[in-house]
Amino acid sequence: MSQLAPSLPFHRVNILTGTRTARLIEDPVEYAKQIAKAERPLLVLGPRLMKITLGGRLLIEYALDIAKAKNIPTCATATVKSKMVELGVKPDSVYDVVEIINALKDPEWKGVRKEGNHDLVLFFGFRTDLGEQGLSVLKHFAPHLKTMTMCKYYYPHADFSLPNIRKDEQWKNILEGIVENLKKE
Amino acid sequence: MAELKEITKKLKEIHEKIKAEIPWEPIGHTPMPEIPDLRSWDMKLLQTYKPFYAPFCDLCCFCTYGKCDLTEDRRGACGIDIGTQQARFVLLACLMGCSAHASHAGHILDVLIEKHGPDKKINLGTSVDLEAPNIRTVLGLKPETLGDLKIAIEYVYKEIAHLLDSTHMGQEGSCLDYESKSLHAGMLDHVGMEVADIAQIVGFNYPTSVADTPLVDLGWASVDKTKPVILFVGHNPATSTVVVDYLQENNLYDKVELCGVCCTAIETTRYSARAKVVGPFSRQLFFIRSGIADVIMTDEQCIRTDMPQEATKAGSAMIAALDKAMYGLEDATEQNADEVVKKMVEEKKHFAILDPKKAAEVAVKVAMTIAPQRRKEWITEQEAMELAKRCSLCGMCEQVCPNLFDIGKGISEVAKGNFDVIKEIFNLCVGCGKCEEECPRNLPIFKIMQVGASKETWKMRTGRGPVMDTEIRTVGAPITLGTIPGVVAIVGCSNFPDIRDIAEIVDEFARRKYIVVLTGCSAMVAGMWKDADGKTVYEKYPGDFDAGCVVNIGSCVANAHISGAAIKIANIFAALPLRANYEVMADYVLNRVGAVGIAWGAYSQKAASIATGFNRLGVPVILGPHSSKYRRLYLSRKEENEWKVMDARKRQIVETNEPSPEHLAYVCETKEKAMVMIPKLCIRKNDTPQGRGIKLNHYISLYKKYMGGGLPEDLPLYVRRDADIPLVYKKEVKAYLTQIGWKPKEPVGLPTLIGTYPTKVPLDSVIH
Ligand code: SF4
Ligand code: SF4
Ligand code: SF4
Repeated sequence: MSQLAPSLPFHRVNILTGTRTARLIEDPVEYAKQIAKAERPLLVLGPRLMKITLGGRLLIEYALDIAKAKNIPTCATATVKSKMVELGVKPDSVYDVVEIINALKDPEWKGVRKEGNHDLVLFFGFRTDLGEQGLSVLKHFAPHLKTMTMCKYYYPHADFSLPNIRKDEQWKNILEGIVENLKKE
Repeated sequence: MAELKEITKKLKEIHEKIKAEIPWEPIGHTPMPEIPDLRSWDMKLLQTYKPFYAPFCDLCCFCTYGKCDLTEDRRGACGIDIGTQQARFVLLACLMGCSAHASHAGHILDVLIEKHGPDKKINLGTSVDLEAPNIRTVLGLKPETLGDLKIAIEYVYKEIAHLLDSTHMGQEGSCLDYESKSLHAGMLDHVGMEVADIAQIVGFNYPTSVADTPLVDLGWASVDKTKPVILFVGHNPATSTVVVDYLQENNLYDKVELCGVCCTAIETTRYSARAKVVGPFSRQLFFIRSGIADVIMTDEQCIRTDMPQEATKAGSAMIAALDKAMYGLEDATEQNADEVVKKMVEEKKHFAILDPKKAAEVAVKVAMTIAPQRRKEWITEQEAMELAKRCSLCGMCEQVCPNLFDIGKGISEVAKGNFDVIKEIFNLCVGCGKCEEECPRNLPIFKIMQVGASKETWKMRTGRGPVMDTEIRTVGAPITLGTIPGVVAIVGCSNFPDIRDIAEIVDEFARRKYIVVLTGCSAMVAGMWKDADGKTVYEKYPGDFDAGCVVNIGSCVANAHISGAAIKIANIFAALPLRANYEVMADYVLNRVGAVGIAWGAYSQKAASIATGFNRLGVPVILGPHSSKYRRLYLSRKEENEWKVMDARKRQIVETNEPSPEHLAYVCETKEKAMVMIPKLCIRKNDTPQGRGIKLNHYISLYKKYMGGGLPEDLPLYVRRDADIPLVYKKEVKAYLTQIGWKPKEPVGLPTLIGTYPTKVPLDSVIH
């Protein structure tokens, strides 16, 4: 087996972003705490959520559990809305990923619930390369908010990221742990 | 006073160059524009479509003051900030792209002037009088001979030098000015490409003024490996055309198989429809590693930089035929051909041979000598299974795959005799070879993948060059009124998230009666799919520039004919003078021509400059997910932006609240999302109610198809009055509009940006 460094980008095409890299958190309790601290979080849903299954459930179901656990508004990108409609959930907003990032960059933006721009943005279900580039935009041009990722890869351009996770079981436990702890927070 | 004299002197020089005395049209405000001349137009565009930067890296390492950390508002030691640094990077990319085409153009022009003389007349056939819309619009020159094209390319060279200068450490300090310079580079690129393709059509007698060009064989399985095989890789047909001539002159054409990868394949089939198209860039390394090519001839652009090493591994001979890429090889241009052949055969040496005739002779002789001694078979399924058993599922290949998929999974299935997974992931593979390089077990992943990959062959219509003036007369009105819902231009390279996406997009929009045009690798890939009747899109749809047709315009440099077609609509259909009149043309295209570019697999710097050139002309471009790595998009924010235009009929600035087109450079993550964006980006303020109804019909129906039903969230922004609502969805749309309190708005009689920003162009110029 190759060495899977927990805090180097999994897909090496994204390697070496520079001087500021994400804080790696493995503990779901700690992750949930960071989310719960936010006043106006936003969960941005990518199209990979519709393709990947984890423990027999589609990834998007985990994402929606997270949203529900703490009443976090959602943004459906690409064609994620279609799957949400199928699951009987209405997204709080529909923007494509570059559009929502473009809006988030603007500190004056009112956010998807019109309560003010978000202070924590959770990304879940994007190609790692596009995700990294999007996170880089916010890292450089949106100092007013923090970013976090839920995928099983380390995203250096985020503020908080999970490590590279080889075993799906471990990832599943983390995601379920986040949901459980969010409910308690 | 001295300054005024200087200006007059300069203008006089320009007038001499563009032959101002020939009065074919009045000369507009910007003959041979320099960096500042179209800056206000750019700034107007950039006000709506703001640059959106996605830095790859926190640092700049351009000079020895650095590396400089540019995070958190830090500036470099030279004073540059992170946004401006991205803009500088984008300009460099555009300049690389623009230079590649310009230098290709300059080279081929020299070759053809040498062959035919500078006075060789430009004649693009009976249906093309407006031969060079980009050159005429940008320079103000109407080129009549090959020699005239030199004036255009020398102008491009000069501007490139100025632009490149601005990227030097410690100069331009504004990201917007860098963007204006990138837009300038993009525009120049279309001039360079136009020079190249006109010269090629004239000099090589390519088909022109005809829509029904031949269908040629496509796919590596179409290459007859029982014959000696010569493979051309790259873009410049200076060599491949001479090889065709050599074979014909020596009665050898039946005995040698010619094929090509990337744009040079398209060029070669325009010269000889008997040549085969292996496929796009992403098939290059596969084909080379298969060893089927006896001789590989490289020219320029999009050729692998490890070609000599790969050729040696595959047992192929290799000739570098152009000075752009000489690979450190011995230059045999002055050597005796037979001696070079001997060394290539006996010592297995590769050479650079810059004289096309000598290169052709050597290539043919070497291919015919070594072919009978070489094994040119794919490995068998059994062999593949045995090899695959060595895979330890370590996952290293997945970690380096730029398309982010798990190739090891496919390999391990092959070990069990299941080729389905590898067949499927082959469609995602961009052919970079990183997986094989990384594999600790040294598995020949490419050879294994090839066993599972397609052995199918397809058809591609050869590139047809410029859109005919006669066609523009037919489609000009329906395009600007909106009754032809749009021109969908699918262009550029093969860094696709999935190679099958292209044919699907083509089929969807041709079926819906859009005009679909293609160039380059995308034009090849469109052909690599068959419908239930076994037909490719080129056999299914006619090749005219008309509703419901699919047109292969040609190679990368033929992109100039797509921008050219947009200009032709303004000039031929709307009768607006184009001579040195760039702003008027671009303004017309932006507001009235519903065209959208899709560079779904763009990887090259050329794609960056082509797209940026389209943007300056007012054509929005959708990019695939990899293109976020270009670092810059042009995005509007529909709710926050102003959408003011001048209504030229009323001579009044009006707020339309209509984001059309919504973005100028946009990345979609999935094909499905692109399917929804394409119809939206074809909407223009000029649409008649009937035209808008048709466009919205497609927007809504594609939205329903891919977004799980309902209506697009932004639909109300595009409905001006009841009459815009498509009949099929009338009830549903009306109910929705009533619910959200939508109010009808006045359509704009003659929308233009002229008059809304500082420009020398008077409003009357846009009224036809
Ligand atoms: S060009 Fe400027 S930012 Fe870049 S390394 Fe030099 S001083 Fe630093
Ligand atoms: S060759 Fe194909 S499978 Fe291998 S790393 Fe490149 S894209 Fe991935
Ligand atoms: S790198 Fe080689 S051994 Fe490892 S999973 Fe990929 S193919 Fe198998």
